[in-house]
Amino acid sequence: MKINGKEECNMDTMIRINQMSKSYNGKIAVDNLNFELEKGQTMGILGANGAGKSTSIECILGTKKMDKGEIRILGMNPAKDRKKLFQRVGVQFQEGNYQTEIRVDELCEETASLYRDPADWKFLLDKFGIREKENSLIKDLSGGQRQRLFIILAFMPKPDAVFLDELTTGLDARARRDAWKILKSLKEEGITMVLTSHFMDEVEELCDYILVLKKSRTVFKGTVKEAVAASPYDKFEDAYLWLTDDSKEGV
Amino acid sequence: MKSFCTMLKIEGKLSIRDMNMVIFAIIMPVVIITILGIIYGTKPAFDGAEYTFIEQSFGGLCSIAICAGGLMGLPILVADYREKKILKRFKVTPVSPAKILFVHLTIYSLYSALSVVILWLIAKVFWKFTMKGSILLFMAGWLLVLISMLSIGMFVGGIAKNSKKASIIASVLYFPMLVFSGATLPYEVMPDIMQKIVDVMPLTQGIKILKAATLGTDMGNLWISVILMLFMAIMFIIGSIKFFRWE
Repeated sequence: MKINGKEECNMDTMIRINQMSKSYNGKIAVDNLNFELEKGQTMGILGANGAGKSTSIECILGTKKMDKGEIRILGMNPAKDRKKLFQRVGVQFQEGNYQTEIRVDELCEETASLYRDPADWKFLLDKFGIREKENSLIKDLSGGQRQRLFIILAFMPKPDAVFLDELTTGLDARARRDAWKILKSLKEEGITMVLTSHFMDEVEELCDYILVLKKSRTVFKGTVKEAVAASPYDKFEDAYLWLTDDSKEGV
Repeated sequence: MKSFCTMLKIEGKLSIRDMNMVIFAIIMPVVIITILGIIYGTKPAFDGAEYTFIEQSFGGLCSIAICAGGLMGLPILVADYREKKILKRFKVTPVSPAKILFVHLTIYSLYSALSVVILWLIAKVFWKFTMKGSILLFMAGWLLVLISMLSIGMFVGGIAKNSKKASIIASVLYFPMLVFSGATLPYEVMPDIMQKIVDVMPLTQGIKILKAATLGTDMGNLWISVILMLFMAIMFIIGSIKFFRWE
């Protein structure tokens, strides 16, 4: 995959997934996943619910054990170099994982304490427009505010790479646009991102490359443009639905 | 170390905000010692006893907070943090999820220590309590009880399927031990047969040690209690490490 933009002198591979497979009790959850991502690129993993998106992310991060394959993030093996790797990699899982009665500032401070050189979270709260919620309980935030907080937490290590699992699911249109704006600005800073999403407009807006999963298998890998060109349609959403159509086997 | 202190501060605040431990580990023992004090004052434990009723009850009262933390607080917290995927979140940070569990072990130990200090002050100021045995021995016994109760809690929380199940198991352990091990209802007033039954509970053995240390009575036959408690603590610690579910 080529890199577009200004970082051409620094073309190191940030993430490399090689023949990753995972099954649960004989049922295949991820079948031979492969991709590479270079610095500053964003990859969107798409697919229906149960297609294997979250399992893929978890195997990549080492929170689930893959059966087969090789993974390198920033040149490290996530299962073995966890402590070193996660100083430089931020993660947001699908559902927010926080203590029931915890406040925004408390979760930020606790998360910051885990990293050697954490981001200035007060500045980030300001930048993302939730500074006035600093002393609120997280459960009292709106969905959009909570997602913005989770983006801040994922960016707490001043990461070189971040993984965001369905970041904007459950948000209203405006909150989603706000989240995009934030992610785009972070992308411009050269952060490599892997995200999963159900929204095609979002994927078109944010992702350099997409990987479409259908029943655990990769049915498409490439750019949004290439996906549209490969299909009989002009719109990406139609192309995506065509790619993942159940009645159409073996693309 | 920096992250441990920050987490201790924040998780401690959360625990106080939750109030359960404040009520069951700090306030409850104070209420009970006050009631016992009002009833028995500085009366001897029985006719001709060299120690007061309060002194006899002190060891048991000191274990109430340990019970609340180890048998009620810890198992539910561990299962809850797993269910909410907080432990899983730590897996994608440079810090091990075990660290937040150690933070909570520290918090429960602090509650228990604070409870002992408060009970000692109240008993001393109002009812002339004196430690007739050895303070060092008391501290060693207290530590043994603390470790064994926390190890039970960690084991239960570690293997329970969810926080609801953990809370059921916790209740089954907590309430009988609280009432029948001599922590609240004095062991001495129980009929012989009942004493024999409650001897099975680990906390009964623990309280015997604390009592002997407080009153300075003969430690001779208490070695069995010490060995039993030690054995149990080791078993549960190994069990928690081996069978703990992070997810």
